[in-house]
Amino acid sequence: MLNYFDPKQPDSGQPHNGFDPSLFERDLGTPGRTSTKAVALTIDGFEISVPEGTSVMRAAALAGITVPKLCATDNMEAFGSCRLCAVEIEGRRGYPASCTTPVTEGMSVTTQNGKLAKLRRNIMELYISDHPLDCLTCPANGDCELQDMAGAVGLREVRYGYEGANHLDAKIDDSNPYFSFDPSKCIVCSRCVRACGEVQGTFALTIDGRGFGSMVSASQNEPFMDSECVSCGACVQACPTSTLMEKSVIEEGVPEHSVVTTCAYCGVGCSFEAQMKGDKLIRMVPYKGGDANHGHSCVKGRFAFGYATHKDRIREPMIRDSIDQPWRAVSWEEALEFSAKRLKGIQQTYGRDSVGGITSSRCTNEETYLVQKLIRAAFGNNNTDTCARVCHSPTGYGLKTTLGESAGTQTFDSVMKADAILVIGANPTDAHPVFASMMKRRLREGAELIVADPRRIDLLKTPHAEKGLHLALKPGTNVALVNALAHVVITEGLEDEAFVAKRCDTEGYQKWRTFIQEARHAPEVSEAETGVPAALVRTAARRYATAGNGAIYYGLGVTEHSQGSTTVMAIANLAMATGNIGREGVGVNPLRGQNNVQGSCDMGSFPHELPGYQHVANTEVRERFESVWNAKLDDEPGLRIPNMFDAAVAGTFKGLYVQGEDIAQSDPNTQHVEAALSALDCLIVQDIFLNETAKFAHVLLPGATFLEKNGTFTNAERRINRVRRVMPPVAGKEDWEVTQALSNALGYPMNYSHPSEIMDEIAQLTPTFTGVNYQRLEELGSIQWPCNDDYPIGTPTMHGVDFPIGKGHFAITEYVATEERTNRRYPLLLTTGRILSQYNVGAQTRRTANSEWHEEDVLEIHPVDAEDRGLKDGDWLGIRSRVGHTVLRCRVSDRMAPGVVYTTFHHPGSGANVITTDNSDWATNCPEYKVTAVQVEKVSQPSDWQQRFQQFDEQQQRYLERADESEGMAIK
Amino acid sequence: MNEVDVLVKMINQISINNRHHGEDAAAAEEVAHHLKKFWARRMKQQIIEYAEKDGADLNDVSKLAVARLKALSDEVESWPQTSDAG
Repeated sequence: MLNYFDPKQPDSGQPHNGFDPSLFERDLGTPGRTSTKAVALTIDGFEISVPEGTSVMRAAALAGITVPKLCATDNMEAFGSCRLCAVEIEGRRGYPASCTTPVTEGMSVTTQNGKLAKLRRNIMELYISDHPLDCLTCPANGDCELQDMAGAVGLREVRYGYEGANHLDAKIDDSNPYFSFDPSKCIVCSRCVRACGEVQGTFALTIDGRGFGSMVSASQNEPFMDSECVSCGACVQACPTSTLMEKSVIEEGVPEHSVVTTCAYCGVGCSFEAQMKGDKLIRMVPYKGGDANHGHSCVKGRFAFGYATHKDRIREPMIRDSIDQPWRAVSWEEALEFSAKRLKGIQQTYGRDSVGGITSSRCTNEETYLVQKLIRAAFGNNNTDTCARVCHSPTGYGLKTTLGESAGTQTFDSVMKADAILVIGANPTDAHPVFASMMKRRLREGAELIVADPRRIDLLKTPHAEKGLHLALKPGTNVALVNALAHVVITEGLEDEAFVAKRCDTEGYQKWRTFIQEARHAPEVSEAETGVPAALVRTAARRYATAGNGAIYYGLGVTEHSQGSTTVMAIANLAMATGNIGREGVGVNPLRGQNNVQGSCDMGSFPHELPGYQHVANTEVRERFESVWNAKLDDEPGLRIPNMFDAAVAGTFKGLYVQGEDIAQSDPNTQHVEAALSALDCLIVQDIFLNETAKFAHVLLPGATFLEKNGTFTNAERRINRVRRVMPPVAGKEDWEVTQALSNALGYPMNYSHPSEIMDEIAQLTPTFTGVNYQRLEELGSIQWPCNDDYPIGTPTMHGVDFPIGKGHFAITEYVATEERTNRRYPLLLTTGRILSQYNVGAQTRRTANSEWHEEDVLEIHPVDAEDRGLKDGDWLGIRSRVGHTVLRCRVSDRMAPGVVYTTFHHPGSGANVITTDNSDWATNCPEYKVTAVQVEKVSQPSDWQQRFQQFDEQQQRYLERADESEGMAIK
Repeated sequence: MNEVDVLVKMINQISINNRHHGEDAAAAEEVAHHLKKFWARRMKQQIIEYAEKDGADLNDVSKLAVARLKALSDEVESWPQTSDAG
């Protein structure tokens, strides 16, 4: 059966004491209500009490009585079109629809009697008179609500015959790669239309025509693929027949078992049922018991899982002496011995600090923990880092300094209580789509929207909520803008004095207050720098400060700047000054990029911090780790990723173990990264594909996808969710097993038999995790850390009473312009971002049909800048920065202001990072991806780098193929 | 840019972003602690060596900060417990 959304009631923001999966197995027909007023009624003689506003249908379902239905489902408001759910209510005339009838005190309802049975049979008869009778060969056979209802009402004949006008010849629309639309099976219940509007918020579907001619239509009667459809699949999930059906089910049949697990794409961390046939994944259905997503998903999570069984998967360990040699497939033992010998040899020659490792934000908490443990305990240094270095490290620094904890303050559900939503440098509809759907729902309910972004993001086009303010700032001026917002708050007396007096360090506040009041922070002054009209800034500040609950959401458009950390602190200042911290509906919310980037930071991936953000120089902390790990730990921080590259180029850093991260594609200034990787004597890459980094490797260890392992991920709301294995790892080992084997080969023993044992060790050593274990995760479904004696069931909303540092700290946030400036040679500013269908470096999504939406990265350029240069859509553009040159196709777009150009970095051959510079955040070295001065001109061929890239790529692919051939011969 | 040039660029940038602490000495104190807390051992050694040998490209705050860093390196600092159960 399909599963549907059911917001956890009554108050989804509160931690729940227990988790009962059976609650999510049934469809209760209509959504729950939150009223605290109970209404008692009788249904078929059973008494039940439900919250005011509940429908008769839902009340019946809660009493264990199933009323037949077709158009109702509990993740959407009742619609009342199918009339199959008609009931009798004492004292009322006729047969009201139970889905649209709210309960009243003392009501007496009858759901089954002879008259109702006859009525329902007549309704079904009409439906079936225009429906193909091919049930046995229909893909929905066994999973069809129409079929179920025909059975439930006892339909035995169709007296109308099938000769009259009908829709049986309606044409199938197969344009979407993942699902098909067969209108001949449609009963026009409008569930798909409502799912697209209410659940997803895209409103791409409508009912076209009227009466008998009514048809579901995507946009203006377009094929799905050409329409506004974002392929989230909510309509497919909602469809009660096989009208909208996953192609995988059409090809393979209905799944036979399912396992609840957590998506491995973005930081929303949606829960899914992986629906299986044996060890084959047939479809992913978002789990309505998932606290992050409540039964919704996006095109990536639901559909783009085919990469797991792609032919490009690395299936066996491989080694080679140097990168100009073909790969040699070997046994696990040989690969690990080879790695250990090389690493030890390097350390003997170049010293203990000459090797390091990079943990993966794509892997589980347990795997990340184990990699940093290996580095600290077996390598004996702190040269560990993770991709958060290049995305949210400023969040860690900035929030730790101001609020005392390196994480967002809220649950996702909190947005449903926000009155003003300020989005800075984030693009939720593309990068965090499931959360964006929830945000859009809140906007439709009337919350105010303020977007600070150089680009006009899609959130500003939210249907039925199109009055958002757009502060289209110049890239690189975030601090000036947020300071201006705070200046307005303070000078116009909009601060929450009571909150500040009670919760914040008053001395720091007074200093900051004096600083921010200075006239140079006034929007009228900073307008020259930011390009945002002062009046707009004043309106935005007033809206945020006075709406009631003001919530800030931000992304990499904040962090990936030379002043990323300063902006994060400025955001925290703004939230504290307006009292928007410590309750539902407010807060400071970093939208984390990778599925487990929060977790990888929590697990001690940074070179200066042990798990739980405990500094390596803290003797008491270090001793605790030393006694459990039985190893001596270094008390000095290790190298960050960019420092590792610099040391490699300098010849002092020689060995690197990289688990599940593609630094060669994702990190800035590609040519510098390539030089560093080429200088290594031993690069060990553990990944599911031959990614760009692996092309420079000496050892290739096969990784496992999230479908092939047990563990946990932690999402952007600090929620720890279980990852459950649904199929065996292709090369026999989960990633933690590989790390463990490498550690043993290095002579540092590790003997875990299951990830739960690793989590137990984490809980033992990490004060914010002491209450976390697998048993507890089963009981609660998921846990938001901190979870310990003080917070035994986790902490949905942080900083409710005090801050981890006691009082909140206002940091002085002086605006320092980036060194990356435009001039006559480089007159445009390039900024980068993502799109919905591709994910990050694209290693996964490029190996799925998602590429049909985005086959290549393009450069978006404003019509004015395009005209100056004589450019039109589709032209090849050379983009030159101070560090590099690449070529992309042109797309003329007015989404950015003149002077700003934009691209994505999903395809390695695009070389977007060949042009990004090595400027970085002053506090954390997070690269300044979002600001690069460039010139753009029309060209006729790929750049030199792209030509070299293509040659190198072809050569490395040949080396891999030869390994496959030699392996094939060995087997023969 | 060689390794030391990168470090000089880094420390100068940290210094510029800490100038608001008032006098150079106060800013340098912040910068020195930042380096102590976040920089690897070798990076600290390299910047100290550079400051002692040449130091021409260091800005005023950075120069003071490196001197403070050197003093701090000789002290055994009792770091605050940074774990934060809330």
